[in-house]
Amino acid sequence: MNKITIYLNNKEHSFTDIPSKRLLDVLREDFDLIGIKEGCGEGECGACAVLINGRLVNSCLVPLANAHQKEILTIEGLSETKQGKALIDAYSAEGAVQCGFCTPGMLMASHALLKKTPHPTDQEIRIGLSGNLCRCTGYNMIIKAVKRASIEGDGLW
Amino acid sequence: MVKHFIPKNLEEALKYLDEHKTTIISGGTDLMVQRRNWAEIPPLFKKDVVYIFNLDELRYITCRNDNLIIGANTRMSDLLVHLDVPELLKEAIYIIASPALRNMATLAGNIGNASPAGDTIPILYAMDAKVKLMSLDGERIINIEDLILGPRRTAINDNELIQEIIIPVKEFTSSSFIKVGGRKADAISKVSFTGAVRVEENIVKELAICFGAVGPTIIRKKSIEAKYQYITLEELKENIDSLVNDYSEFIKPIDDQRSNKEYRKKVALNLLKEFITNL
Amino acid sequence: MVDISKRIKKVDSDEKSIGKAKYISDYKMEGMLYAKTLRSPHQKARIISRTYPVLPKGFYIVDVKDIPGKNFIKIIYEDMPVFADEFVNHYLEPIALVVGPNKEIVLEILESIVIEYEVLKPNYEYNDSAINYHFTKGNIDNARKEANRVIEYEYNTPYQEQLYIEPQGMIGHCEEGQITLVGSIQCPYYVKNAVISVLNSHEDYVRVKQSTVGGAFGGKEEFPSLLACHLAVAVNKINKPIKLIYEREEDMETTTKRHPAKIKLKAFIKDNEILGMESNVGIDAGAYIGLSGVVLSRALIASTGAYTIDNLEINGDVFITNTVPNGAFRGFGAPQMLFAVEMFIHHIAKELNLDALELRQKYLAKQNDATSTGGEFRDPIIMPEMLEKVLKESNYKQKVKEYEGTYKGIGMSWFLHGCGFTGSGEATHIKALVKLEKDINDNVTILIAAVDMGQGVKTTMRKIVSNILDIPIKKVIYNNPDTNHVPDSGPTVASRTIMIVGGLVARCAKELKETWKNNEKQTVSKRYKQPSFIKWDEENFVGDAYPAYSWGINVIEVEIDKYTYEVTIKEGWSAYDVGKAIDEQIIIGQADGGQLQGIGYGYLEVMNAKNGKIQQKNVTDYIIPTSVDAPVLHTYLMDNPYPLGPYGAKGAGELTLVGGAPAVALAIENAIGKVVTKIPVTPEYIMELVNNE
Repeated sequence: MNKITIYLNNKEHSFTDIPSKRLLDVLREDFDLIGIKEGCGEGECGACAVLINGRLVNSCLVPLANAHQKEILTIEGLSETKQGKALIDAYSAEGAVQCGFCTPGMLMASHALLKKTPHPTDQEIRIGLSGNLCRCTGYNMIIKAVKRASIEGDGLW
Repeated sequence: MVKHFIPKNLEEALKYLDEHKTTIISGGTDLMVQRRNWAEIPPLFKKDVVYIFNLDELRYITCRNDNLIIGANTRMSDLLVHLDVPELLKEAIYIIASPALRNMATLAGNIGNASPAGDTIPILYAMDAKVKLMSLDGERIINIEDLILGPRRTAINDNELIQEIIIPVKEFTSSSFIKVGGRKADAISKVSFTGAVRVEENIVKELAICFGAVGPTIIRKKSIEAKYQYITLEELKENIDSLVNDYSEFIKPIDDQRSNKEYRKKVALNLLKEFITNL
Repeated sequence: MVDISKRIKKVDSDEKSIGKAKYISDYKMEGMLYAKTLRSPHQKARIISRTYPVLPKGFYIVDVKDIPGKNFIKIIYEDMPVFADEFVNHYLEPIALVVGPNKEIVLEILESIVIEYEVLKPNYEYNDSAINYHFTKGNIDNARKEANRVIEYEYNTPYQEQLYIEPQGMIGHCEEGQITLVGSIQCPYYVKNAVISVLNSHEDYVRVKQSTVGGAFGGKEEFPSLLACHLAVAVNKINKPIKLIYEREEDMETTTKRHPAKIKLKAFIKDNEILGMESNVGIDAGAYIGLSGVVLSRALIASTGAYTIDNLEINGDVFITNTVPNGAFRGFGAPQMLFAVEMFIHHIAKELNLDALELRQKYLAKQNDATSTGGEFRDPIIMPEMLEKVLKESNYKQKVKEYEGTYKGIGMSWFLHGCGFTGSGEATHIKALVKLEKDINDNVTILIAAVDMGQGVKTTMRKIVSNILDIPIKKVIYNNPDTNHVPDSGPTVASRTIMIVGGLVARCAKELKETWKNNEKQTVSKRYKQPSFIKWDEENFVGDAYPAYSWGINVIEVEIDKYTYEVTIKEGWSAYDVGKAIDEQIIIGQADGGQLQGIGYGYLEVMNAKNGKIQQKNVTDYIIPTSVDAPVLHTYLMDNPYPLGPYGAKGAGELTLVGGAPAVALAIENAIGKVVTKIPVTPEYIMELVNNE
């Protein structure tokens, strides 16, 4: 057991825990952040995506030790921000949410993409979301939603 | 009872490695999958675990004496945006995995994992990369082809960790990395091809050819490359069939859940042909 | 009155986006225990002995001995055991559950259970037929006699894994004297009935609730009944809440998949006329039949696809092999058959040196034609208008000539999907019952067992009611079904939810409107009655197999790499007739998603078994399209209202998947100039075809 400190959705938390535990499990179990999903446990589907120090990562692959002293943003945090709201509204307007299981991770990836490229092309959006699998939507409405957010949310990123 | 050690600096890490049998984990993109356990319980590590990802001392990209030096903890995504990283390496990194994985995966991790399908490794072979290992006993530099011994096997000693990767600056006039995976993104390679040449005054001065995922380690044959150096570009193209034939016996892929050996071999040689034809 | 097709904001979009919607693994309960399944390491064996370790306090092993009722899962054909008793018939067949509060100890117990087996010889060949169906139409003997040419092909289709992003899972617990199952399911009453059977209990003793479902596609139609039975037997024994969530590999290796199929088609030709057809189908059920008979039925009925062929002989078998049992997946037998039929009509054209498009048009079904089972296509078929639109938008005619053999290709598929349960299922088995309840505040609650698994039913049902009653949609309530509160309106399958259940809901709403009393509690309920003109002879496969049909055309353009044989899906154009879209955006979302699944089935998704073991058992090895692989799809929705559907709506859920594979396969054929007879058309297969001169 080691002492761990994380800055989770802008709040500092210190606790002791096993450093090899998956960040995914710590966030879901100890912090009740159920918006982070487990779809595969192998880092392939992206449903568990969060941002660590502003970078998109798959939390099922992050040992807690690697999150020590880092800023973590989850969907719960993102959805409180103007950027998150712009994305969520765009997803809703374009019909991009079906079963919703991939959606939080997809939104995190969309946000990470727009931070880097505020006005992406369709191909850039596809590549930015290439680590997030969706089985319901065929992706087209999600691509449109990110495009829409980048236009209607111009200046937010 | 497995112990977990989060070193505060490199010295602490090396000391721990010297005193214990350990598993070193950096980004975790390979190990956290390999040691996966039932959800909500910690992964299965059998040896003490040393977490080095937070050691910023190992995170740098510099140039030194005509070499590009990449610290072990440098993220793949950071290599993509650095000006001094060669295009050939960027090409490989750009289609590895996914954005999220590239933010955690490291070049050192790709090497240490020594998967036959590791996509950066053939580039490192083509560029004659070296790896600097360090331990409490000191440092040593080893060629990449001597470091990787087979699938998941390296010549890294128990008390060593990878400090940096040393890539000599090459002046290739033409280079290409082609990855053939099951789909266009986020795929494990079925076969990969790396080709690089330096042509000056129509003479092939340097030639490097590597095949990935078609053998237990990367296939690079300097003896074959030597045969086709110091000839004209036209002569190289004329002898394309003989070049393909020379490599044919060394490409010995396997059948697995992703593909079969006939496909892997034919495509590997097709890509070689395509590269030479397009020079 | 607003046109109902006009899109509205989906009612559950935001709660899913912000991560507040609760899926089954998000539920926590006081004192919850965890369960893991002990599975057979053999493909076929007899269990000689079991040695269970001494268990620490609070840990349990649950097996066949704990079953109070019947040891089989109540599906259509009752042969799948809940827990293996004396025999195991497939690799990883469930034998027991280990349950306890600590996962690490549960795993230790699992590893220390010793079972002695007598290993038996497994069978993987298509030779053990458990169900055979055979029927004819017209005079096939005459067709055979008159023919001066016979064209014959065999087509093969593989497993397809649903790969819902949320793995299967359920929680079982006791609440107010009832055993309650909560989970990721499509059919609350299937689950309830299965649990009643395994517990031999009164129906009031069992309660089933749906948690938010993260994708299903048929994979959560009948399989969850197995999870539910496992949990119900465990909860009945232990009397504590128990959570059973499958890990992804476990899900991929052990849950039901699309039936692999071998399809032999024979056409009897005279002077370029197709006089008759013979179809011989074998589907691989895996170790247990389950609902394979119905899958086979639907496949056989689709034997002539979108075409009218007057004389038919259709034969099909469900084969038992020692592999994972197969089950429902969007399309349910039709994708397999439609792949074969669409390739066949092209291959016939090639052999006869005829234009494939003209041949298709010649045999395209028309209104009032007899169906493959001698029923009738009673409603208008607007395929000619759909064809005109798609041909124009895709420039198919020019491209198909221009591309031949250039490694660029374009392919087209025509298809239909029978809406609702095959045959007399709706009338004799389901007998759907729906209810609307108005409270004193004039809020109207829709009480049906239909599950929203992403297809938007929560939005579309509320739209129907709000539109008919002319009240704001926020006054219409539709909660996740709970069998304590909703009647059995049938399972969420077979593209029946809007057409059949929605149809009943609409009629209830109309009646409520007519009898509306402000601020008074009112209830209206209706039960499904089969229209009298639908007649079906189940034994002989004669009559109207379905009350209505939806129609579709897909065109896909591809490009193939000459060196690596990799396929790029460039673009797609489709037209669909689903009667009337209750929400256009939702239907186009279904089209985008369904078609990508069909396309994936056709060129990308590889799943095979070796020695009875699934080889692609994780998301890394079983490849589905990413955003980079997915093409832009242009979808054209046609207007062709069906009189018996709400606002004219027919079924849409499965239609959009069934044509994807043949469209891709024909595009690849066009590109490489070789005959394709199996899917997926992988680069490895393309290389084989191209190199076999």
